[in-house]
Amino acid sequence: MDTGRIKCVLCNEGLVQKKTLFEYMGRNFSHEVPCCPKCGKVFIPPELAEGRMAEVEEQLEDK
Amino acid sequence: MRQSDTMAIVESCFHGQPASCTHNCPFGLDIRALMDKAANGKWSAAYKAFRNAVIFPAIASRLCPAPCKSNCQRADIGDEPIDLPLIEQAIIEYAKKKTAEKYVIPPKEQSAAIIGAGASGLACALALAQKKYQVTVYEKSEGWGGELREHRDFGIFDEDIGLQLSAVNIAWQFGHEVKSIDELAGFDVVYLATGKSGDDFGLLSSHDQTLYTTASAKIFLGGGLSGAALMDAIAMGTAAAGRIEAFLQTGKADAAVTERRDCSRHVEHEGVENAPRIKPESGGSYTEDEARQEAVRCMQCDCAACMASCDMMDSFRKKPKKIATEVYADTQASSTFSTRSLTRETYSCNMCSHCKSVCPEGINIGELFAMSRRNRVETGVAPFALHDYWLREMDFHTNVAAFAAAPNEKCEYIFYPGCQLGAYNPAHVLKTYEHLKSRLDCGIYVGCCGAPAFWAGDYERLNANVDYIRKSAEALGNPVFIFACATCETMFSEYLPELKRTSLYELLADSGGLKPGSALTDAAVFDPCSARGDDGMMGAVRRLASAAGVRLEELPERNRCCGYGGLVQGGNPGMFKKVADSRAKMSDKLYIAYCANCREVLLSSGKDCVHILDIALGLPQSMEVPAISERRRNSSFVKTELMRELEDEVFKIKPQPWDGLALVIEKGLAEDIDRKLISEDDMKEVIWNAESSGEKFFDEADESFVACLSRRVLTYWVKYRVLPDGVFEVCGAYYHRMSFSGAGE
Repeated sequence: MDTGRIKCVLCNEGLVQKKTLFEYMGRNFSHEVPCCPKCGKVFIPPELAEGRMAEVEEQLEDK
Repeated sequence: MRQSDTMAIVESCFHGQPASCTHNCPFGLDIRALMDKAANGKWSAAYKAFRNAVIFPAIASRLCPAPCKSNCQRADIGDEPIDLPLIEQAIIEYAKKKTAEKYVIPPKEQSAAIIGAGASGLACALALAQKKYQVTVYEKSEGWGGELREHRDFGIFDEDIGLQLSAVNIAWQFGHEVKSIDELAGFDVVYLATGKSGDDFGLLSSHDQTLYTTASAKIFLGGGLSGAALMDAIAMGTAAAGRIEAFLQTGKADAAVTERRDCSRHVEHEGVENAPRIKPESGGSYTEDEARQEAVRCMQCDCAACMASCDMMDSFRKKPKKIATEVYADTQASSTFSTRSLTRETYSCNMCSHCKSVCPEGINIGELFAMSRRNRVETGVAPFALHDYWLREMDFHTNVAAFAAAPNEKCEYIFYPGCQLGAYNPAHVLKTYEHLKSRLDCGIYVGCCGAPAFWAGDYERLNANVDYIRKSAEALGNPVFIFACATCETMFSEYLPELKRTSLYELLADSGGLKPGSALTDAAVFDPCSARGDDGMMGAVRRLASAAGVRLEELPERNRCCGYGGLVQGGNPGMFKKVADSRAKMSDKLYIAYCANCREVLLSSGKDCVHILDIALGLPQSMEVPAISERRRNSSFVKTELMRELEDEVFKIKPQPWDGLALVIEKGLAEDIDRKLISEDDMKEVIWNAESSGEKFFDEADESFVACLSRRVLTYWVKYRVLPDGVFEVCGAYYHRMSFSGAGE
């Protein structure tokens, strides 16, 4: 999904890549994902959720 | 959890122990490992292993009566046993490196006298001299060998003895007959091995057959003198050296006694081809190639029944004892410093007890994974997201959709259909109950047995549910529970053993009053794993199908898990699919299932499958799998109908603000989303939340909205379009398990 053409509806702002804090299985880490520059709302595209994120989730479950 | 708890489960596993041929070997030689080396032409390595066990390879290879042959499992499939003596001789002949065993350790001051230079005395002397004790051998004749000196092959034996003794220092006193044991008073210990009918110095009657000790504290006795045959005498000499060393170091000989494990068990050899014994073309000894071919005949007998027939164990290649060790080790792992090594296996086990059914010792590896799952939940380190969907299902079926009632408050019988029977087809519950009620004083209890909690390792939830069922049963007069689901029945037998139980299918098959009917001509019954051992239930299902005129074919195996067991779909979707697809391919015939979950899994794998109740009750046979939300609606419908009938009340499910949303989803996409275990209700909630709060994203590329909602341990995302008439078209749905806490700077 091309996130360049995605907007936060409430803020009417295009998304920018921002470092975001994630937590899973008791571990915290940060990663750059598309967010609203104004309200900070995070957008997770399907390719990320079902791709790299799923891989990392599995790795953390195995730890 | 203690390590002894996990190890106790696999204690009797004999995988990796020597094979049955070793059981009879005087030396405890690991023949299977030796044959592996020989089969690969590793002659020098084979020689070393053989020499270390038998001490004098030339003597053992020519004079051992080979009791191993009588326990060679080739005979189990009608073949001649492996010709070990000829292979042993080939090992000696073709090994390029033949040297004596050499120990690089400092000499010891303690001294040992050996009386008798026969095979047993020599073996004892060699072992003690290797450990650098000061050894003196007294022999009345002029050389070593004892009774072997008379053998026609003594030249070969003499050379072998010389080779094996070439790396040690021993003081030889040939031609010296010890007349009185007092002569040896200066030695710290004595080994008396004067051979068959040799002088025992009055000590034979006090000989301890295990410790080889005698009435005289420092005199040990063994070999032919104690009645041992030649090979036993050699083995005894080596063992005596061990006991002597323990005595010299600790004052007690028993410190060296180790019990040999019983390795006499034979294993299954299904599918192994017969192979005739290789006969040496020369008539005497094997060529190198012949020896290898004969060693290849060794079946490397080892029990691997569980690993060979369980998809999960075959995939992870971990042995039972390793699994038991790791189940415990994982409880000690600290995520900061170490990694748990068994997580994926733990959540990939179907817990179907198939391993137990094929294990000669009846070991259930699933018990280990159940322990592991429970421990992870109790210590808060379980990947809770893996079982979230099914625990939500359990919550729904134990709360919203649960219902228990009887026509007259209390009842003699109660029908317990399980949570999924009505979800897949309300008629299965309602029509069955109608029939039962017409013949018995029968109530109905729609609920969940707690299997999802058991599979998740959530015992708090499981026990709460068990307590609730117990109280409900009591209120109904503790009736006999009639089970349509074998898993429910198994759970009740484990956690509510005090309640009386029977299977629905036995009642239906035996009670009469039914007119089973089906257009089917041929089919195969797919027995669920949870019905294993329940011949009554399995037989009744077959009787019901036969009564409807269905010709039945037996599957190659009964009670193989369809893939649903243990709820592995969340933790290992690939394994789930592999198992399900494999079960679907067990036969070309249409399946008759009697577990609602088996049927759903098999249908989803593209296998035509009907429920036995379709046949028993003459219902229309559909191959459709209802979607998740439809299943919930079906369960609510069942409760609505039962409440109206038994309590004359209207079931009102608590309305949700998103109930009224109208969704359209393309069929293929809907199936895809359903496979991800995302329900239509979940999607409605996400959309309703986004539409009412405005918190959503707009994708200009396709003019769609994307919104998310975090629930418990999962975050759901839905991509949708708003159609002109207020209908929402779902374009996609996905989820992730990680949580995020907003963007930083």
